Amino acid sequence: MGFLQIASAHKAYHTPEGAQVRALDDVTIDVRNNEFLTLLGPSGCGKTTLLKCIAGFEDLDGGDLLLEGRSLKGVPAHRRPFNTVFQNYALFPHMTIAQNIGYGLDVAGVRKPERDRRVGEALEMVGLSGFDSRRPAQLSGGQQQRVALARSLVLKPRVLLLDEPLSALDRKMRETMQIELKNLQHSVGITFIFVTHDQEEALAMSDRIAVLSNGRLQQIGRSTEVYDTPANEFVANFVGTSNLFTGRVTERNDRLLTIETANGRRLAARSDGFAVGDGVTLVLRPEHLRIAEPGEGGAGCTIEGTVKDAVFVGSIVHVHVDVGFGRTAILHHRHERAGASAAVAPGASVRIAYSPESVHLIAAAGG
Amino acid sequence: MIAGDTVRSRRRRALLLLLAPVTLLLGVFFLVPLGIMVVYSVLEPGLYGGVEWTWYPFNYGRILGWPLNDYEEFDPIYLSIFLGSLKIACLTVLFSLLICYPAAFWVSRMGERRKNFVLFLITLPFFANLLVRIYAWLLLLRPTGFINTLLQGLGLIAQPLDMLFTSFAVVLGMVYIFTPFMFLPIYANVEKLDYSLVRASQDLGATPLQTFLRVILPLTAPGIVGGSIIVFIPALGNFIVPAFLGGSKVQMTGNLIERSFLQSRDWPFGAALALLIMASVVLVLMIQLTRAARTQTKGAV
Amino acid sequence: MFRGFKTFRLWPTLFNAYGFLFLAFLYLPLGLILLYSFNANPINMAVWTGFTLDWYATIFGGAGVKGSFDAAFTEAPERIFAVVKNSFLVAVSAATISTVIGTVTAIALARYRFVGKRFYQALLILPMLVPDIVLGIALLVFFVGAGFQLSLLTIIIGHVTFLSSYVFVVVSTRLAGMDTTLEQASADLGAGPLTTFRRVTLPQIMPGVVGGFLLAFIISLDDVVITYFIAGVGSQTLPLFILAMMRRGLRPQITALAVLIILFSFVVATVGLLLRNRKP
Repeated sequence: MGFLQIASAHKAYHTPEGAQVRALDDVTIDVRNNEFLTLLGPSGCGKTTLLKCIAGFEDLDGGDLLLEGRSLKGVPAHRRPFNTVFQNYALFPHMTIAQNIGYGLDVAGVRKPERDRRVGEALEMVGLSGFDSRRPAQLSGGQQQRVALARSLVLKPRVLLLDEPLSALDRKMRETMQIELKNLQHSVGITFIFVTHDQEEALAMSDRIAVLSNGRLQQIGRSTEVYDTPANEFVANFVGTSNLFTGRVTERNDRLLTIETANGRRLAARSDGFAVGDGVTLVLRPEHLRIAEPGEGGAGCTIEGTVKDAVFVGSIVHVHVDVGFGRTAILHHRHERAGASAAVAPGASVRIAYSPESVHLIAAAGG
Repeated sequence: MIAGDTVRSRRRRALLLLLAPVTLLLGVFFLVPLGIMVVYSVLEPGLYGGVEWTWYPFNYGRILGWPLNDYEEFDPIYLSIFLGSLKIACLTVLFSLLICYPAAFWVSRMGERRKNFVLFLITLPFFANLLVRIYAWLLLLRPTGFINTLLQGLGLIAQPLDMLFTSFAVVLGMVYIFTPFMFLPIYANVEKLDYSLVRASQDLGATPLQTFLRVILPLTAPGIVGGSIIVFIPALGNFIVPAFLGGSKVQMTGNLIERSFLQSRDWPFGAALALLIMASVVLVLMIQLTRAARTQTKGAV
Repeated sequence: MFRGFKTFRLWPTLFNAYGFLFLAFLYLPLGLILLYSFNANPINMAVWTGFTLDWYATIFGGAGVKGSFDAAFTEAPERIFAVVKNSFLVAVSAATISTVIGTVTAIALARYRFVGKRFYQALLILPMLVPDIVLGIALLVFFVGAGFQLSLLTIIIGHVTFLSSYVFVVVSTRLAGMDTTLEQASADLGAGPLTTFRRVTLPQIMPGVVGGFLLAFIISLDDVVITYFIAGVGSQTLPLFILAMMRRGLRPQITALAVLIILFSFVVATVGLLLRNRKP
């Protein structure tokens, strides 16, 4: 039996124009105890709706939520052992920091000495001791974030729900908080369900990632699984950058497949589980592509092209290569000082090389 | 944990509870009384007040020209008083507009602190009792009042001017009372006016007058219309101002209504007059609503 | 600077002059009442014959009235206190009830989606748009027809019908400016709907609620027209009392009373406006 089961959750909205939008369409997730689970997807994918349904702010239309086997149907938000960190933090502006953090304990009837002790501990945990009597408006974004965290964690919830809590912070602060959140989750040992549209954030923090799109669960798995073996083209494109080539398996030699695209391009990949005639999509990550040395490269593991753009981003150069038929491939080229980048100057003819082991294959939709 | 008790059903119950008081209040003490008045306006007046429950459209007939000749005659005075009230209400709107429009620009160009203070000063008289404000104008306008005493003292006039009990006095009194009503909507609009549009118009070669007529006026029109409506409505039905500043010489529909209810006790006739006022108000609101709807659809296209 | 017309140096000066005239138009009549209330001349207030506080004294019963002519026009302090008491009773009750109804309704319309919302929105604006006299006689006809004895109670009910709308508008504005996730956060932290209302929603909208109450209080206290129709024998309020006095003639005692009324209204209104302007 799972810890928190989201069992074929359904939820639809009616737009003001009368159209029906499926916010959640048969989503099933088994949330494990003590894990850091991220709901990842673009805006409107249903991730925030799912979070609100878990918190109890909204009802599911169909399906169920089970906490350790017991249904949460009809349990109002204030009786669920879950707490939420809101996107805008939702700190009560008319209360001090200590009153904010003590609110849930006070409402639950915890006596003042005990309450004060636990508020003090919570403040210490987020590194804000001594801020008790300030007002939320006197705190920076990052500090408000910590107060929101402390306010939720002081209640020792079974699950902490985080609704894009880092999106309002600047980049530096966000990176610091990512690490802090992850460490915090380890030390308190509470299940975190974290919603974000930022795939880097998801990869950096999560034990597991559930990718959602158009209200449907696309894939759920460990960060590396989702990144290395995306279940479909959506995941391949949304999590990290991918170069996708779709074709049909024309030859099979031991585990080495030859795939021919509609444009007649022949590409090699090493994989089990596909037979001649299967439609497949190759997923090539930019970091697995490199510029081939002159004369190097086996048949099928190279793509000819012309450099369109080279975008210097620091340690690496993002090279955009025109590979014909209106397609552009992106590869990450290690930056070297002193003119080595002449090879990737716009206009240069290049051959892109990859190893067949680095290719991930997806069964093409309908193929 | 009551099974099947969803967030939605709980919220529905709370909503019903929250809406109950206002529904009762406005249902029983607002809609029902207005409905009764509509019914009364087509009933026969009782001999000693009250009503007879018979269909009797002649209350309107007395005003608009189809009286029941056996009992009463069509008296054009009612219609002329009604039209006179419309005229006074329109003049009130016009003059309050003329004095408030420039004032709105004057306030809008101030710094934040001064602006808030002046806005406060303009709003404040609204809270002074209506009677007290009329009283002030009685003291100013009457034959032995401030203005006449001053002018006589200066030797400018020999006899006191007859300012009280004129249409002028009534319009002046109402303009005075309704100034905040006209000012605030206009100000809200003028405040939002984007001056870069004014500069653009000048830059494109328009004279100040052209700029005013073709840029500033159309952009502030919603405030003008809004202010005009909320001045027109209470001005049309007013009876306190004409009672004191108009005396027996300048009567408005409000005075007729008051008399038919509290003196001649002809309730159906008073109700009919009141409904004529309501009809005028509804007409004005309908025109405004269709106009607003049209501009909105135009904006959407 | 009226930036559009910057080239005309004359404009700013003219505008300022006009603005001061505008304010003078608003305040000089009120100032005149103040001045007259200290004029000792009992016959013609426009002719200054010396400073006196007698007119104020007659209101509080501190000075006897000289001459039978004035006595006929002067009201006894007990009468004045009785109507002031009536007025306050009505204003406090009506403002309290309409604050509750207006606030509760504002919450319903701001926080819930339901069929008929537009109907309620229109219905709530209506009492402010119906001319006073129409509402006054409609209530009179209703109260008499339904067998109500015209009294302070009918006045209170009458006031509540239109004051609720004013409170509704003021509180709605405040609610619209409030962050709804605060209420979710409160529920999330374990507070039931009532606790959430008491400890989160209410403190947030309090300036609006108090502002709405003061607005309703002052409008009720000042109301003449509606009260005029639905007041019964023995339920005279201060404005009706002044109305009756003014019909008998303009006497210095009314002037002094008028000054006190203006001052009181201005103090209440100032507090109300300050509260309303405080940012959420």
